[in-house]
Amino acid sequence: MTRDRIELLLSIADDELFLGWRNSEWTGIAPFLEEDVAFSSIAQNEIGHARALYELAAAELGTTADELAFDRKPEEYRCAPLVQLRRLEWARTIARHWLYETADEIRLAALKASDDPEIAGVAAKIDREEAYHRMHAEMWIDRLLASEEGRARLNEAMDELWPYALGVLDDELRPELRRRAQERLGRTLADVEPIPRGVHEAELAELWQEMTAVRRSAPAGSQW
Amino acid sequence: MDARTQEFLEYVQSGGQVETGDWMPDEYRSKLVKFIEMHGNSELMGVLPERDWILRAPTLQRKLALTAKIQDEVGHAQLIYRVVEDLGKPRTACLDDLVSGKAKFHNVFHYPTKTWGDVGVIAWLVDAAAIVSQKALLKCSYAPYARIMKKICWEESFHILHGRDVILAMVTGTQEQFELVQEALDRWWEPLMHFHGNPIPADEDPMFLWRIKSQGNEEARQQFLDGYVPQIRELGLEIPDPALRKDEEKGVWLYTEPDWEKLRAVVTGNGPASQERLAFRRLSREDVAWVERVVLAEAA
Repeated sequence: MTRDRIELLLSIADDELFLGWRNSEWTGIAPFLEEDVAFSSIAQNEIGHARALYELAAAELGTTADELAFDRKPEEYRCAPLVQLRRLEWARTIARHWLYETADEIRLAALKASDDPEIAGVAAKIDREEAYHRMHAEMWIDRLLASEEGRARLNEAMDELWPYALGVLDDELRPELRRRAQERLGRTLADVEPIPRGVHEAELAELWQEMTAVRRSAPAGSQW
Repeated sequence: MDARTQEFLEYVQSGGQVETGDWMPDEYRSKLVKFIEMHGNSELMGVLPERDWILRAPTLQRKLALTAKIQDEVGHAQLIYRVVEDLGKPRTACLDDLVSGKAKFHNVFHYPTKTWGDVGVIAWLVDAAAIVSQKALLKCSYAPYARIMKKICWEESFHILHGRDVILAMVTGTQEQFELVQEALDRWWEPLMHFHGNPIPADEDPMFLWRIKSQGNEEARQQFLDGYVPQIRELGLEIPDPALRKDEEKGVWLYTEPDWEKLRAVVTGNGPASQERLAFRRLSREDVAWVERVVLAEAA
């Protein structure tokens, strides 16, 4: 396995892991009970995707999915800064949801065409579930755009998260994300410097502390 | 009691079931709303003690299982509030009464969760205690409530398996992990003994009178003890009640009388985490109030 292949698998797995963790922050406190259930489901799917990707990498690295998910140092994670941000208020949650799912769709389309059959296979499998996340995100964009207050809040959130969203994708895929986002919002988005993968927000280390606290409380290799 | 009400009472007491559109005495309807609403509130408030641990689950499998379990509880709240809605009280009114402290929720959800051991004890034993009560509701005289209880009991039985698995991993792990479970059990035993309520005779319990419940409080507690005390002891855990033993001749469990005054205080908002939980729910509801406003404006 090439270094690039491991890098690619871990980047996407880390994105899915952290977004899954962030989405699960809504469990129990979303604006509607229906959204609690929806975001919990989406979180479970994302974490399931992370696990599938970690397993591919772990087989080559001689480790396990859990060790990759939990036992690296915060600075070793490759996730995009967009998914590191802690639970955002609802308009930003929806903006991140739509931006990430759209970026992910563009990324998965490229991966499905990969000549690496394992990567193409797992990308196709993930995309089948992501299709439902996209429907959910689109429904919320429609809802927010339908009123003046919702539109204003969504636009503000989109502008704030836009540089982060660009950072999810490599250079060559960014123009497609811009095209789709501008079409959906019916306006031009600012020409900004992307906040790329490799940047570590303070929130990443904070979340890492929390997500590994129980695990670190027993010696490495303990069963939980 | 008028003749029609008397006839209704005899009908439910002989095992008859009632549908939403059927005539029912006002007293029956109000008892139903009170009972079922508290159940819905409990499912929803029950999310909070566990949700703190969603971010701290120590493996991917535990993370998935815990998120799924808590999602189930929210789903139960959603189903149960629908039943209440059909009886005339809208979901928003239930939530208003919950956050204002007017409506009650179950005693066990007024306590803090301190360690990962609590996560196992809650999923295993609190859910086991709950399923004893909920199985008895399968025979509830109000048919729509009895029907949703099938799905709820089925899901709760998975939670118990998940909880037992979390506990098993820890009691067979390091000494520290074993002690986390023992310490959690020590703290949760009193709330568990309170769970089914004071031993009021079934005939004096209005919820039993109308056959909303099909068993008395003590009967439920005995069933819980019968099912779980042997399992807890089998794992080498010690139950913090020296008087706890089964009188084999009479076939009943004997135990130290719980402090019923304390139970009353806890469920009326004076538990160790009651006010903090309600404040958190109020705050999170205020944070997202605009979303409801926007969605409703659009629907209008």
